[in-house]
Amino acid sequence: MNRELLDKLQDAAANGEVEKAAAATKEALAAGMDPIDIFENYLVPVMDQVGEKFGRLEIFLPDLMMAADVAKAVKEVIEPSIKDRATIGEGRSCVVLGTVMGDVHDIGKNMVSLLLEVNGFKVIDLGTNVPVFDFIKAAEKEQAQIIAMSSLLTTSMPYMAELIKALEETGKRKNWKVVVGGGPVSPEWAKSIGADGYGKDAREAVEVCRRLSVE
Amino acid sequence: MRSHTRLLTVLDRAENGPMLEEREFDQLVANTVRELTLKYGIKYNRQEAINLSDDLADRLFEAGMELATRVGVYCTSTHRRLIFSEAEIREALRFAPGELEIGSGLDRVIIKNRVPEDPRIPANTGGPYGTPLTEDLYTYIMQSYVQEPIIDAVVNGTFATIYGRPPKTHTPWEVLLAWREVELSKAAAQRAGRPGISLGCVENAVTEIGELSGTSYGGFTPVDWHHVCFTSELKTSYALLIKVAHLIQTGCIIHDFCNPIYGGYAGGAEGVAMVAVAGVILMAVVNMSTTHSICPTHPFFESDTAPEIVWAISASQQALNRNTHLLTTVMTSPVSGPGTESLLYEAATIATAATVSGTARIDGVRSGAGVCQDHVSGLEARFNAEISHAVAGMPREQANELIKEWQQHYVPLLDKKPVGQSFTEVYDLKTLRPKDHWQKIYDEVKERLFKQGVQFK
Ligand code: B12
Repeated sequence: MNRELLDKLQDAAANGEVEKAAAATKEALAAGMDPIDIFENYLVPVMDQVGEKFGRLEIFLPDLMMAADVAKAVKEVIEPSIKDRATIGEGRSCVVLGTVMGDVHDIGKNMVSLLLEVNGFKVIDLGTNVPVFDFIKAAEKEQAQIIAMSSLLTTSMPYMAELIKALEETGKRKNWKVVVGGGPVSPEWAKSIGADGYGKDAREAVEVCRRLSVE
Repeated sequence: MRSHTRLLTVLDRAENGPMLEEREFDQLVANTVRELTLKYGIKYNRQEAINLSDDLADRLFEAGMELATRVGVYCTSTHRRLIFSEAEIREALRFAPGELEIGSGLDRVIIKNRVPEDPRIPANTGGPYGTPLTEDLYTYIMQSYVQEPIIDAVVNGTFATIYGRPPKTHTPWEVLLAWREVELSKAAAQRAGRPGISLGCVENAVTEIGELSGTSYGGFTPVDWHHVCFTSELKTSYALLIKVAHLIQTGCIIHDFCNPIYGGYAGGAEGVAMVAVAGVILMAVVNMSTTHSICPTHPFFESDTAPEIVWAISASQQALNRNTHLLTTVMTSPVSGPGTESLLYEAATIATAATVSGTARIDGVRSGAGVCQDHVSGLEARFNAEISHAVAGMPREQANELIKEWQQHYVPLLDKKPVGQSFTEVYDLKTLRPKDHWQKIYDEVKERLFKQGVQFK
């Protein structure tokens, strides 16, 4: 166990010190550490802690933003030295995420976005008020595995059903797993529209995306 | 209205203000809030349920003012900040109305600004507050509020379906949603004998489409109260500014609201209180609104009744009501629903915290956090208003002790979301009166509160 690396990453995540995290990772790589070891046994536990603290509201969204930046920086440093990319971050794929059309509620979506990033996912955040076909276009362009939609309004929820229907009718349903969430969305409703996953909060969102990525 | 004269300035600034990426703006808000919390020594004391210090309230006001001038408002459509100088803001506050008449004919009511511990009773609104309602029940549910004489104005619910179909926003369906709201909320007012009561609208206007359509010939009127929000934190957009432009051109009363998120970019209780102050100040400037609502929200409970938030509400209200004459409003947004005791304790908490902090109008009750279809009823809104009448003039120290006691009844339940029963389970549709079991819970809780010193009128 490289205690020093762990401490440095922990500090960096807590204080948003992106350069410090990148430098520590570079040092560890230069010292011959295995990049996958760094990711799985150092970055992931540090970020797990961040997620847990946020779950208890001991830290807040700005802290999560800093930690996400640190996670991204570490990933960027180690990625080039991994030959077999499939092994890094197994179960942490690319997620296209957004709040559906007409809806500007984004705090929950941002929490999901950051917690996914903190957990090593690549997140393409399309923001709010996202038309159905923009999700699909982005998922195609980014070769994403998951389309995740957030809705806080019973009046914007129908767009979730519409996206799934559009995928089915264009023969693309198998290309992506579809995950839904947000205040009024229930597991029953998610099932009724044929979504692959639902999460009641940001931590469940991470869990369900992990599960669907390995499936 | 003389406070409606800044439209061109607002639109110019949305086009010419400094550019910034949205994420950078979020970071700017977070950093500035942190800095100002230290600079002004704003500290949340967990031992108290509400703020008891005038000095802290005044420092919080200055901190909110500095936040407002330093970060401004972000327009997500143009990626620019609308910046206003302190002099401009203070002038806008000076000419903002401190008194407002809403509704028409015999149903007119006047809202006046108040100060902390003011013995004058605040105005009260009641309604399902955007909660999705079954179409066939809409008028009944709305009538259960309008028929309560203690309620001065109502606020509408939204529709779970529109003519039986999915209520898809930003489509022609939104136009129909707005008009169904016009039709059925007016019918409820008529049936209850208060045809001129002011209606909080257009709740189904998720985008600008519903507001523009519903506030036109034969629809909602200038003396109804029209909602235009800020998105969290301190943001606007062209969709929202289109509503503002339309409402100003049609001479309508604009009601604003912002819901700082606890644990979000504002951070903890102190930051939520500061962003609430800055939000209200900036909404008065940018939305040119006349009544100003906050409903700080917990990220996991989705209510405003968690202890940290109750404190933030009280502190921000005292800050605003000691230092401006704005017509402030606070909404009771509990996790509990009809048929539960905890709902009444949550309502008592917010209505008391706001009333003794000088809030001009107490709104609510958005039972079950406003998401549980038909889980709302007029009785809790009546109770919310009765509390505000009873505690007007109460010293903050006394309110503080009462709230601490009441919180023991519901805080342990916040994460259990006791949404209770739906309207048809708690009201008799024929008589439109509460069913016995719901009436009994209400009577018992009132009795208990009375013994604790709440002087119901
Ligand atoms: C805060 C808030 C606002 C803020 C939003 C600020 C922002 N930037 O997001 C503001 C003030 C802008 C706002 C505006 C409006 N609002 Co609003 N708002 C709320 C409120 C109080 C809380 C929402 C929230 O942020 N919760 C906290 C976050 C953290 O929770 P969350 O979003 O649910 O996310 C969590 C989980 O759901 C999950 N999750 C979220 N997304 C996803 C996605 C995936 C894939 C997964 C797996 C999980 C997941 O993880 C998150 C973290 O734990 C709700 C009430 C409620 N009970 O939800 C009303 C509510 C959603 N709003 C409502 C309404 C009506 C509106 C308006 C239309 C009002 C109006 N007439 O102007 C406007 C709409 C504007 C628009 N075009 O969208 C209604 C909707 C009713 C309905 N019919 O569905 C509600 C229910 C309240 C009510 N009864 O009035 N609102």
